[in-house]
Amino acid sequence: MSSETNKILTTDGIPLEVSLKRSERKNKIKAFLLVAPLLLFLIITYIFPIGSMLTRSIDDKMVTEMLPKTYKAMETWDGKELPSEEVFEAFYFDFRNLVEEKREGKLSTQLNYTKNGFKSIIKKLRRKSKSFEEGNYKEQIMAVHKRWADVEYWQAIKRRAPAYTTQKYLKGMDMYKNESGEIVSVDEDRRIHRVLWLRTLEIAFFVTLFCFLMAYPIAHLLATLPMKYSNLLMICVLLPFWTSLLVRTASWMILLQQQGMVNDFFVWIGLVGDDNRPEMMFNKTGSYVAMTQILLPFMVLPLYSVMKTISPSLMRAGKSLGGTPLVAFWKVYFPLTIPGIGAGCLLVFILAIGYYITPALVGGASGTLISNQIAFHMKSTLDWSFASAMGLMLLTGVLAIYWVYNKIVGVDNIKLG
Amino acid sequence: MKTISKLLLAISFAISVTTSAFAVTAVSWGGAYTESQKLGYGDPTAKALGIEINWVDYSGGLSEIKAQKEAGAITWDIIDVFAMDTINGCDEGLFVEFDFDKDFPPAPDGTPASKDFFTAMPSKCAVGNILYSWNYAYNTNNVKGTPKTIKDFFNTEKFPGKRAIYKGALTNLEIALAADGIKPGKGGAKIYKALETEKGVNRAMDKIKALCTDPNGGCVFWSAGAQPPELLVSGEVVMATGWNGRFFGAEVGEGAPIKQVWDGQGLDYEYFVQVKGGPNDANGKAKKALAMMTSTEMLAGSAKYIAYAPWRKSSIAIMEAGEPWYKDGKTNMVPQMPTAPQNTKNYFLVDPVFWADNGTELGEKWEAMKAGL
Repeated sequence: MSSETNKILTTDGIPLEVSLKRSERKNKIKAFLLVAPLLLFLIITYIFPIGSMLTRSIDDKMVTEMLPKTYKAMETWDGKELPSEEVFEAFYFDFRNLVEEKREGKLSTQLNYTKNGFKSIIKKLRRKSKSFEEGNYKEQIMAVHKRWADVEYWQAIKRRAPAYTTQKYLKGMDMYKNESGEIVSVDEDRRIHRVLWLRTLEIAFFVTLFCFLMAYPIAHLLATLPMKYSNLLMICVLLPFWTSLLVRTASWMILLQQQGMVNDFFVWIGLVGDDNRPEMMFNKTGSYVAMTQILLPFMVLPLYSVMKTISPSLMRAGKSLGGTPLVAFWKVYFPLTIPGIGAGCLLVFILAIGYYITPALVGGASGTLISNQIAFHMKSTLDWSFASAMGLMLLTGVLAIYWVYNKIVGVDNIKLG
Repeated sequence: MKTISKLLLAISFAISVTTSAFAVTAVSWGGAYTESQKLGYGDPTAKALGIEINWVDYSGGLSEIKAQKEAGAITWDIIDVFAMDTINGCDEGLFVEFDFDKDFPPAPDGTPASKDFFTAMPSKCAVGNILYSWNYAYNTNNVKGTPKTIKDFFNTEKFPGKRAIYKGALTNLEIALAADGIKPGKGGAKIYKALETEKGVNRAMDKIKALCTDPNGGCVFWSAGAQPPELLVSGEVVMATGWNGRFFGAEVGEGAPIKQVWDGQGLDYEYFVQVKGGPNDANGKAKKALAMMTSTEMLAGSAKYIAYAPWRKSSIAIMEAGEPWYKDGKTNMVPQMPTAPQNTKNYFLVDPVFWADNGTELGEKWEAMKAGL
């Protein structure tokens, strides 16, 4: 018997296998078309911006292209002492081209990111260079401003030579690659980013902890109370959630400042003296209080949704098997709520790490977080490549935390509600 | 990648372009300030020229206009910006460069526009709008005695209590040096000369640090302009640096018990810039509207609503003739101007070139100092 007769055919004579595959493929295409808009949306709003951030943060072609002759001449320069006449001459010719194309402003902005002080000396050079005489450019350029005779500025120019660079990432860690290629830290009185990273992590961690400690009992109460009370309580949780962030932050300022209502009350009941009011605002305490309150619903809701599904009979069973309430809670109830805890903590932590308006308003001297610095470079200095680099570092941090969480608890164990 | 990103941004901006595509779009900081601009010179200009002017709020910085330009869909025509932004934006090629005396009308007495403004423009793309002051004020109920000088702001022995200062380094370093005994000199030249050196910067930082760590003093850092009068009125601080228009609003507008001190004030400016390639750039409407808004008479109009000085010297004469100029009909505005002679006995001009040059590094040092408080 040949194998062909063995194949089962459909009524129109096509082997069943082929026909099945065909219809499955059709279904797959249909399913894909259904999710295609979402996929497209994700690519446009998520994958794509992250990709462009990445290229922006390492792409440094602009300066390389602006000063081609200079960088060629600089190849033989050791970077220790002032470069030779050759480099100055090359720089002068590059610069003259840029002035003709009206691009010297862009150069000044870019170089100013690497070392402050370039803006004004480039403007001055533009004015003075119009009356330069031929030859001896080193002396003429150095006469424009004393900074042109400072080797540090030429080292800064040389640092921008590669078309692709990791300098922005190093800068985000308060480091830079010096002219001999070593990675070194910036001056001590300018190290700010490391402090900010640590502070951001610290605040996010403690806010998550406080949120958890407060939300757990609330969520438990919500899940176990009869419907008519729990609904009311739910509204109490959600009401602040629907209020503007700024309003909530401002209310905390009114309540907690030294002349605020809480302090007035303490003085009135005699807890503290009038001239000895505790500072609860414009410092870290302020940040913790305001951020915990603002982020609390993000912890309560996942916890509640998980606790709602835990049958009360489980606790009873635990107790009837001989456990004290505490043991029953710890061995039975708590493990069942872990998916909710994971979801809530991740949510709160990730939101807290990127927070900035609230800490900026209530945090006082220690209120600046890394996101404030990103916003500063986005809006003020227009150093978008540095802002992108720091944004990506923040994102990597979040992904790392997610990875650690996955290793320890498992992502399957997240339940958002 | 780049073309797609442009396309995407273009789409998003195309959606945000509304029906008012033909009106001139002027962008400013919002609140009472935009109100004063709209009522003071925006509406009169629109009426006189028959050009519709739309006022849009933004929160400062050049990121939005840079994004618009990268997307190739510019929707703004005129922007109200800080001095530093006119320099950075001009360098980036975002703004139109002016031929000053040709583009802007002379004063009524024939003085060319470039001579009628209080100082030269920081860049070729800027035209002056108002001058405002970073001065300080105190709560008259909480301070015994009368602080008169910038030294008094730092004198915690004589005037104990917390101070509110701006969250950034801008102007704080200047007043610290002025209070530490450096005479500002003409327009603050000596202060900025000192700040060019590391020694000068450290001296200023130390002065601030001393104030903030003093048990009799202490610092609250403010970030929004509404905060300083608020902190004063609530009694949270006894003295605060801030913008004079805000103090005036609280003092005269709302009758709060605060008083301003002008010694050691920092004069700062707001500028208008015109966006290169904006919707009304080619047809000339934007420039026409801008020229009219910054004319002598029009600039005087905004001082009716807010205590910021019109940039043109000739505008002051119009205000003097019209006193009481404030909208309540009983307050004289000329003495409230940061440029009034009695207010400028000891002052410095905030130097945009210095801050464009050194802003980032000083900012880092400042934050590092704050982190150690």
